Amino acid sequence: MKRPALWLLFLAVAALAAGGYWWLHNRPAAGPYPGMGGDFTLKSARGPVSLSDFRGKVVALYFGYTSCPDVCPTSLGALAAALRGLTPEELAQVQPIFVSVDPERDTPEKLAEYARYFHPSLIGLTGPLPKLKEIAHRYGAYFRKAPVTGSLGYAVDHSSVIYLIDRRGVLVDMIQHSDSPQVIRARLRKVLGEA
Amino acid sequence: MKFWLSLVLMTLTLPALAGTAADDIRISDPRVREMPPTVKTSAGFLTMENHGTVDHALVGAESPWCGHVELHTHIHDNGVMRMRPVEKMPVPAGGVTKLQPGGLHLMLMELKRPLRAGEKMPITLIFEDGSRKSIEAPVRRFEQMSGMKMPMMHHEMGMPMGGKH
Repeated sequence: MKRPALWLLFLAVAALAAGGYWWLHNRPAAGPYPGMGGDFTLKSARGPVSLSDFRGKVVALYFGYTSCPDVCPTSLGALAAALRGLTPEELAQVQPIFVSVDPERDTPEKLAEYARYFHPSLIGLTGPLPKLKEIAHRYGAYFRKAPVTGSLGYAVDHSSVIYLIDRRGVLVDMIQHSDSPQVIRARLRKVLGEA
Repeated sequence: MKFWLSLVLMTLTLPALAGTAADDIRISDPRVREMPPTVKTSAGFLTMENHGTVDHALVGAESPWCGHVELHTHIHDNGVMRMRPVEKMPVPAGGVTKLQPGGLHLMLMELKRPLRAGEKMPITLIFEDGSRKSIEAPVRRFEQMSGMKMPMMHHEMGMPMGGKH
């Protein structure tokens, strides 16, 4: 009987094809930060959202948490001001995303309202902690729950960087000093200008 | 006898001449950050100038608009912002201490209702000698807050976060 062998061969070919397909669609594309960034899926108040939903748009991504009283609102405020300075045509090609790394306190509903306050096109996403850690790690973002004295219970130590992702989904820029709307706007325009 | 009496009186009145912290410290540019309505915390900023001859320190604050106020700072550690409570914010004699975005701030916790831009939040500052100073801090939207004081970090990044400039 040659039948089992034939089936095995068929399975092997199918597995290879599936693997190849996956590789073609998920391999990290080359950019200035090889091996960093990449796709993710998280929860919004309206359901799951993937980074790949925004292919064709430039994404500005920021990790933070809503009870952050200073650094996050300053950075998001600067991002919002940068977006307000874009033309309507440019704005239509940009998707700003706020990812909360504090899912314990930030629900998708709370995030939706928080994001809307800064800019109508800003969306708020979160998800299970291990998943957030994995995504943050890929982007080089750092966050850690830190117990503090006082009634806050805990603060979240975090890096404050705006990540720019181009139309192909490739991480192309990181804005460290996210305090100047002019700088953010200029660098957004640069990515918008790239094919 | 008269001489001794006047000496005693002078000794007694000297500390009063030195003034309390509340007398010595001048507050300028107080402001509080408007936050999205779902958020129960905010931050307050101001500048303290010590016009006296002794060192002072801010040790606490309170406001009828929120559950309580804590004194916090941000430690910038290789691109990571670590927010931590501090026991006091010293203001040396003749010196200036600024509470500003990205650094020292009043952490306003358990806000009883959302703060709205244009309102003036009453805050009482408490100093090391127990003296108090009442101020009114205008609530401002993020567009009207001054920018964050961030150290330049290009050359000390421990993580693969280096910006492309």
